[in-house]
Amino acid sequence: MREQTANRVFDTANFIVLLVSTLVCLAPFLHIAAISLSSAGPILSGKVSLLPVDFNVEAYTKVFSDASMIRSLGFTVLLTGLFTLLCMLMTIALGYPLSKKNLRGRKGFMIVVVITMFFSGGIIPEYILIRNLNLLDSIWALVLPGLINPFYLIILITFFNNIPESLEESAEIDGSSHFRTLLGIMLPLSLPVITTLSLFYAVGRWNGFTDTLMYINSPELYPLQLKLYQLIQNNMITDLLQMEGAQMATVVPESLKAASVIFATVPILIVYPWLQRYFVSGVMLGAVKG
Amino acid sequence: MSWNAYFRRYWQLYALLALPMAYFIIFKYGPMYGIQIAFKDFNFFQGIMGSEWIGFEAFREVFGMRDFYITLRNTLMLNFLDLLISFPAPLILAIMLYEMKTLWFKKLSQTILYIPHFISWVIIGGIVYQVFGTQSGMINNVITSLGFEAIPFLTDKNDWLITYLLVGVWQSAGWGTIIYLAALTGINKELFEAAGIDGAGRLKRIWHITLPGLRSTIVVLLIINLGHMISIGFERPYVIGNLAVREYADVLSTFVYRIGLQSGQYTLATVVGLFQAVVGLVFVLGANYTSKKLTDEGIM
Amino acid sequence: MFGKKKSKLGSKKAMLVLGLSCSLLFTACSANKEPEASGGNDGASKERVTLKVEVFDRGNSPAGSTITDNYLTNFIQENFGDPNNIDLEYVPVPRSEEVEKLNVLMASGSNVPDIVFTYDPNTFNRYAKQGGLTDVGPLLDEYAPNLKAFLGEDVLGYGKFEGTQFAVPAKRSYVGKYASFIRQDWLDKLGMPVPQTTEELYETLKAFKEKDPGETGGQVIPLGMTIASAQYEPLIWSFIKPVSEEERHTLVQQLGSNDYPTLLPGFKDALQFMNKLYNEGLMSKDFGLDKDKKKLGEDVATGKVGFYSEDDINPFYEKGTLDTLQQNVPGAQLASVDVYTNEEGKHAKPMYAPNGMYIMIPKSSERAVEAIKYLEWMATSDNLFKLQNGIEGENYTMVEDIPVAVENPTEEALNRMYNGGDMIIVSNGKQLGSLEKNLKARAMQMPKKFQEQVEAAQKIANSDVIAPVLMDRPIEAQTKYGTTLLDKFNEMIVKTTMSKPDQFDSVYESMLKDYMASGGQAILDERTAVYKEMQAQ
Repeated sequence: MREQTANRVFDTANFIVLLVSTLVCLAPFLHIAAISLSSAGPILSGKVSLLPVDFNVEAYTKVFSDASMIRSLGFTVLLTGLFTLLCMLMTIALGYPLSKKNLRGRKGFMIVVVITMFFSGGIIPEYILIRNLNLLDSIWALVLPGLINPFYLIILITFFNNIPESLEESAEIDGSSHFRTLLGIMLPLSLPVITTLSLFYAVGRWNGFTDTLMYINSPELYPLQLKLYQLIQNNMITDLLQMEGAQMATVVPESLKAASVIFATVPILIVYPWLQRYFVSGVMLGAVKG
Repeated sequence: MSWNAYFRRYWQLYALLALPMAYFIIFKYGPMYGIQIAFKDFNFFQGIMGSEWIGFEAFREVFGMRDFYITLRNTLMLNFLDLLISFPAPLILAIMLYEMKTLWFKKLSQTILYIPHFISWVIIGGIVYQVFGTQSGMINNVITSLGFEAIPFLTDKNDWLITYLLVGVWQSAGWGTIIYLAALTGINKELFEAAGIDGAGRLKRIWHITLPGLRSTIVVLLIINLGHMISIGFERPYVIGNLAVREYADVLSTFVYRIGLQSGQYTLATVVGLFQAVVGLVFVLGANYTSKKLTDEGIM
Repeated sequence: MFGKKKSKLGSKKAMLVLGLSCSLLFTACSANKEPEASGGNDGASKERVTLKVEVFDRGNSPAGSTITDNYLTNFIQENFGDPNNIDLEYVPVPRSEEVEKLNVLMASGSNVPDIVFTYDPNTFNRYAKQGGLTDVGPLLDEYAPNLKAFLGEDVLGYGKFEGTQFAVPAKRSYVGKYASFIRQDWLDKLGMPVPQTTEELYETLKAFKEKDPGETGGQVIPLGMTIASAQYEPLIWSFIKPVSEEERHTLVQQLGSNDYPTLLPGFKDALQFMNKLYNEGLMSKDFGLDKDKKKLGEDVATGKVGFYSEDDINPFYEKGTLDTLQQNVPGAQLASVDVYTNEEGKHAKPMYAPNGMYIMIPKSSERAVEAIKYLEWMATSDNLFKLQNGIEGENYTMVEDIPVAVENPTEEALNRMYNGGDMIIVSNGKQLGSLEKNLKARAMQMPKKFQEQVEAAQKIANSDVIAPVLMDRPIEAQTKYGTTLLDKFNEMIVKTTMSKPDQFDSVYESMLKDYMASGGQAILDERTAVYKEMQAQ
């Protein structure tokens, strides 16, 4: 009896804390959404909080009728997909061998990887490298330099290590090749971490734009986040407009910025809920261990 | 095993890692000649190789700057506080989600909790100001309407520290749960059933089964975090920080941005970067070594 | 695999891209140089060359245009490029990272545009000092008589580095910066006159606070303040005492592109005054957080602010601050006023230097002559007028010799000029031949209902102005410590203002000490030395 009461107290407390946290995390998003649906006066007066004031969808009409936004969305999806796929291939190809404790030279390889977590050549030599490889102003300049994130690699190795060795050993006794062990046993068992890392890579690419500032010149190759960044930065430098003698026509309305934020964020936001179905328990693990 | 026999058995592993290692050599080690900028009087037009050697002169200059020590102290302080507060937050949150039995709510809140990670810092900065401002911030509006004195969340340096930490937790905790939730799928459910028969309480069960199941993930994240104690992202302190609390909010990254990038002194920026890299590497190797001794877990 | 992505490109553009990628692969590829059909090719015998020009990208291209392909780029290609057998290629640089990207382009040694520019004098000085720029002096003499006449000796002087013309500075069409604004309806309600001096302003602010004429329910902000220069500079500079020629040269600290009065007599008094206003609750409490003036704009628009200083025409834009204020508070009036007064009874306030951005030609460029011709073409009055004003009847109509923007222009006409400010690099602001006309034209871009206040504000901004100090050679310590000291300067304002009155002195002393140790002293020493040199000559 006492235990049941304790359980109920735990569940209720858990529910309340999670509910409050959830609301706190949702509020800013609602705020942005509300701004995107409000008109200029109330926004400029700071009257919009969580609900739209003077509701209108003008900003969204503008975003969706802007062909360059739509094209940019397409390009960003392509870029993110390509990037994530190649990243996962490379990370798994390196992670699997390095998860083998008895691999000769393993420590050396690991050091080579870990050093790159801290040391880098800096922005100028990196730019020169991309230029010399003839990658400037191409999608590959945004894909190749970031193929393996050492941190994600280490996470993958940790998960591989947690898979019982008995499984791999039994496969090897069967005469299975390393390739087949990887594809047939390790990957299916690591589905949750593979999904997680794919999400990490995808979100990182989707939200990243600093490299595009340097490597991309053609407006056709602008990812969404770069366009978004420019829209928002425009606001930051309005006091420069006076200095530059420019006209106010260059200032973007707040509601359009907010609508663009929503436009650029929602596609990547829905990826995780969709991926959650791969977060199933390692059913097989239990079976073998038991 | 002889090398010959060894390779015949394991060549596939080396074939697998050949391309990724080539990637590291070309894209990561290739540009590393840039590190020599730290020892040169960098001239834009003579390039990295053509600029003149100056030895450790730039190091002496950086180590002679008062701001360097202040920003170093602040970086360590903010990171240490983050380690105490922001590091455990996603772990706790993940366990709470894991214990949540109402499935639809679990999924919904999981999805919403990670939204803040997708809002850029520029926008967060504006929202923070609206929420925490002294004169008309939402929280202070409530406080003053109840007849209390407004709290300078953003302009008093100690209050600011709390604001900084809370915003950090808010922004990153939900995102951080993902990795733990993935790790939690690996826990053998039968252990829970066994514990249930034993009559172990919920907290006990978390302590004896769930947490040990996450041990290696926690250790790896902790080691990596320790390795980054001396480096800090630019945006969070820059956006949440302000002139009134610059004493605490000025960190190495803002320092480098100011003296290096904005002022075009790449030599000084590279010196600081090199210093951070060496210290970071020492920290991570040290943490890894200690962890191996104590728990047999580590990153390599 | 590493091919360039091609989408809907016009054939001309596709040609260019093809040529570019070709020349990337084989450095000497000239197979695709085919004369264009349009335009009269008077230099047909000469080989067609490509001129690469930097362009600011603000991400605001309207649908159908890109920053490298729009009305103005095509106009310039047709009217300048084709007749001279030049293909123009625009290299976009994000506005907010202009210095960072330019640095990388310069350091990488190739792919550098033939024409680059920056607003940052330190960047210009650094490039010049490191020997990376073309001496444009002889080129200007030979190819650019119109440009030289347009800019004038005064403006050109800002592009000299130790006597050599390493940059072509753009010319400003006006130099005024700031005006102040007061709620006229509040004054009327209280039966008070417009304050004429700083002391009177103080009394007015107190009355605003005590009597709350705007009925804000205790939320009144008598003086709207931020940590952006438009709000604090007019106040601070009015406290600066008259100084000798020598002090003016040595005590001023130029941080970035503005002069700062950190060491000038009177600066402490200014801070003391701000401290008083703050502690008496007469000034925005969170001013230290408001870097982008967003909060101030909100407070003015919701009718909380009684008085504030701002860039002269900033409050009057369509759907801007005043428009919104009048929507929120019917009957609200904002009057342009000049209040802060110095010892001599003048309303002293800073102005811009007569130059705008620094236009430079990298030394590595092989198209220096074409680059100068480009600028020369742009500065020639007819071209300049067309570039700045668009098409008559669609974009503007002539009223009393001044091009006035057409009311309700078509979308096409509006989009035509969206990047005008950034393309016409030789000028900041519209140039119509005289300051009066320039200001008039600027006022006429504003909504009709605010015309009177706009003109008053412009007049205020251009009177009693303090010119920036020009030294004979660049001060290296300023290049080096400028960014750091600018932060410290702003920090000093915030910390001293927010300190308790009895702690003011100690806060001020310790902040000034830190400021001096972080480079302030080095700047002072160097300026003193350079001034002595100047006197010796």
